[in-house]
Amino acid sequence: MLATLLTIAIVVQDPVSLRAAPQDAATRQATLWQGEWLEVRGERQGYLQVYDHRRERPGYVREHQVRVYRLEEQSVPQLRAVLEFLKDTPGSEALGIGYAAALLRAAPAHEVGPELFDALGTLAERLARRASVRKSTDEALAAHLEVAGMYGVKLVSLEQEGRTRICYDGEAFRRVLALGGSPQARLRAALALTRPECVDPELGPVQRQAIDVWRGEVLEQVDTAQLPAWMANRLHVRRAEVFAALAYHRARRGEVDASVQASERAVESLARVLKSELAEEDRSAYAVAAVRVGASRWASERVPEKAGAGPVLELSQARPGETCLRLGDDTESPLAERCTYGVVWPGSIRRTSDGSAVTVAVQMLEGWTELWVFHQEGPEWRLDTLTPAATEPGLGYVELAGFSPDGSRLLVAREAQVEGKVKTSFQVLKRETLVPLASAERPQDSGTFQRWSSAEWRARTVSMR
Amino acid sequence: MNVQEKLKEVLGVGGAAVQAAVVSLVAAAVASVRWLLLTRQGRWLTVGMGVTSAVVVLGTTLVSHPPVQVIEPAQVGIRVNLLTGGSSEVREGWVLRVPHVHRLYLYSLKDQVYRTERSLRADGPAPFQAAEGLSIGIEVTLRYSLDPARIPELAQRLPADVGREIVEPSVDGVLRRHFAQHTVREIFATHRAQIQKDIAAEITPLLREDGVVLRSVTLGNVDLPQQYRAGVEALLAEELSAEKMRYTLELKSKQVKESELSAEAEKVRREKNAEAAGSEEIIAAKAKAEAMRHVLPFKEKEIEQRRLEAEASKVSRLTQASAEADARRIEAQGEADARRKLAESDAYRVEVTGKAASEQLARDAELISRNPLLIQKTLADKLSDKIQVIIAPPQAGGFIAGGLLGQPQDAQYAKRAPPGAAYSQASEPSREPSEYGEE
Repeated sequence: MLATLLTIAIVVQDPVSLRAAPQDAATRQATLWQGEWLEVRGERQGYLQVYDHRRERPGYVREHQVRVYRLEEQSVPQLRAVLEFLKDTPGSEALGIGYAAALLRAAPAHEVGPELFDALGTLAERLARRASVRKSTDEALAAHLEVAGMYGVKLVSLEQEGRTRICYDGEAFRRVLALGGSPQARLRAALALTRPECVDPELGPVQRQAIDVWRGEVLEQVDTAQLPAWMANRLHVRRAEVFAALAYHRARRGEVDASVQASERAVESLARVLKSELAEEDRSAYAVAAVRVGASRWASERVPEKAGAGPVLELSQARPGETCLRLGDDTESPLAERCTYGVVWPGSIRRTSDGSAVTVAVQMLEGWTELWVFHQEGPEWRLDTLTPAATEPGLGYVELAGFSPDGSRLLVAREAQVEGKVKTSFQVLKRETLVPLASAERPQDSGTFQRWSSAEWRARTVSMR
Repeated sequence: MNVQEKLKEVLGVGGAAVQAAVVSLVAAAVASVRWLLLTRQGRWLTVGMGVTSAVVVLGTTLVSHPPVQVIEPAQVGIRVNLLTGGSSEVREGWVLRVPHVHRLYLYSLKDQVYRTERSLRADGPAPFQAAEGLSIGIEVTLRYSLDPARIPELAQRLPADVGREIVEPSVDGVLRRHFAQHTVREIFATHRAQIQKDIAAEITPLLREDGVVLRSVTLGNVDLPQQYRAGVEALLAEELSAEKMRYTLELKSKQVKESELSAEAEKVRREKNAEAAGSEEIIAAKAKAEAMRHVLPFKEKEIEQRRLEAEASKVSRLTQASAEADARRIEAQGEADARRKLAESDAYRVEVTGKAASEQLARDAELISRNPLLIQKTLADKLSDKIQVIIAPPQAGGFIAGGLLGQPQDAQYAKRAPPGAAYSQASEPSREPSEYGEE
């Protein structure tokens, strides 16, 4: 039906009454919201006579509550100008989507380019964000979502942490990437398509890996050469996050080379971020990306050679997905043994100079890496685990920063996301009990840590960013 | 007729001229021969011409009968000496052949083909006859070669065209006999391979006697009589249709089977994938559970720490409350003591002041009793300074301010008042009650 329309009226206010007669006192047929189209059929007594094809109902609306356009090529400049204005006007997303739809109808094929889809995607993305605000008092929101849905803008709902998040499916952004567009538009599209909060948390590891592979491919389609530094930072941060996740996924599936490449790419992307140009709203994302990179950076660390005498930690495959760690010396019976379903990073194995302790990093989840400490207590060896934080496993890592010269102290760096914030601590632990003896938020605040932390750790860690 | 007459006329006219020309030519030839034989120059010319002729004849002989000939690969040559009657076999390479002494026969050792050209069509020059008496054309192709071992002994009697002169006569009879034993349908469709085999079995020994090795016999196109062809073709079409249907059904059945197998393979693949995905999910879940197990002790420690902190806080608060209560108790005690002391001091003060007041009253009473006007003086002193007071002896009424005090004039103490009265210029106060009432 809409295909035959020539003259339309776009509702520009919230809410507008569709009256049964051209009088203010006439019966209200329906409530209209900004962005809706009506077919114009005439004009009477200061009212427009219209037909609402969505509700299949005729009626009258006040002239000042709508804007009338003919769906022909001459209307394109007007529609384009209004759309440009609405693109960056918060609260007018449904109206902008209505204008974008009108522009798509009126413009000839050769004039429909990536700019139009960029505007449409930006509006839909902002509407989804508006709908996901925790304490929204936006009464018109539900109606705006309905209007957007009417034009084919698909918004999906995800259950996250006991609440619903609305996400845009990104159709317009995919078209932007396909058609070209300015570097900024391509960046916006890539960032919107790869938002981590819009990845369904219920996905299994296989689907999650497929999604991450796709996200990596999307991010590779943006060239940062022509972008300002603060915008390029966003892309680097997102790349670091995605490739860190891929490093873990691929290691879990035994694809060692691919895992190494992804990890190197993640570390490199994080290093490309210019901190001096980092926008304030990106600091949190930067910290989260750094934690993810820190959790899986061991994938690209080469396996250290055994130096000196002492026990050796050997890794072997047991049941599918299970790795067994066996600490042994020259004797046949192992000193300590443990099997795990996490990913054991061989490049993270470290020993004290006297051979009284051996540590290894084990990544249990995509962003959660523990430090396992095999240490000697008298004649016996025992295994203790250090977790990034005493919270539900989510996002964090703990890594060895060095040993005291006598091997009685362990230096560890911990970073974890606790209650939405990334907390970093540099601790000196007693080897026997793993109880913190000293803790600081910066390495330079602890003299012991500063003195004993290894040069290799300082060169490779992402915690001192 | 006119043409003949004209020709006779022309000949009649030209006969005399021709005779004259012939006579002159004969005379010229005789003169030339005489010159060649009798004159010196003529004899030299005659010798030269003879030598030239001999050279030309010799050259022509050498060109037409070269003394050396090449035997190509896959060829064998039999050289026959015409003087002695002997023969020798020559193989690939150069061979000497003296003209008019040697004769060289070349035989190809390659496979050759003989095809029954005359019997290709049913309406051709020599069609075969089938068992029903119908003429049919059959394309029979024989591939044969000469037996290289027997060529020397057969060279004398081997014809130049072995195919036409040896193979064709030997084969033709056999073919006709065999085809006559079979029906057209058998030849056309059902017994073709068997016929082919039988023919080959019978022809092979026949040709071997002539030094020919049969390689294969192939029955090609069968040309049927037109009417029979239509019938047979219809029949065959039916059979072929049935056959085709059978094959189609078999094909369909195989396709169904293939689809089943594909579906089965797809199902297995999906199951495997699902199983793998399930396994991965299980592995991930186990890893998560393991991580949770590692975190729990720390959480417990944290909870224990908090409990201890809470207990310490409780003890500290209790101690503080107890101290505060003690302090308040002590404070209250102190306050009570202070109040008691205060009360005691107040009582003492009251007692002392009472005593002092009593003593003062006693002294005042004594003073008043000695000087009764003192009261009035004192009262007068207390009046406003605007009032001038003169103390006079009291009247019968007694007290100077009796009116003010509402006392009766016959106050007792007035009776006892000493002589002299206080005189006041102030008017006597009205006995009427004030507007405020009596107080």
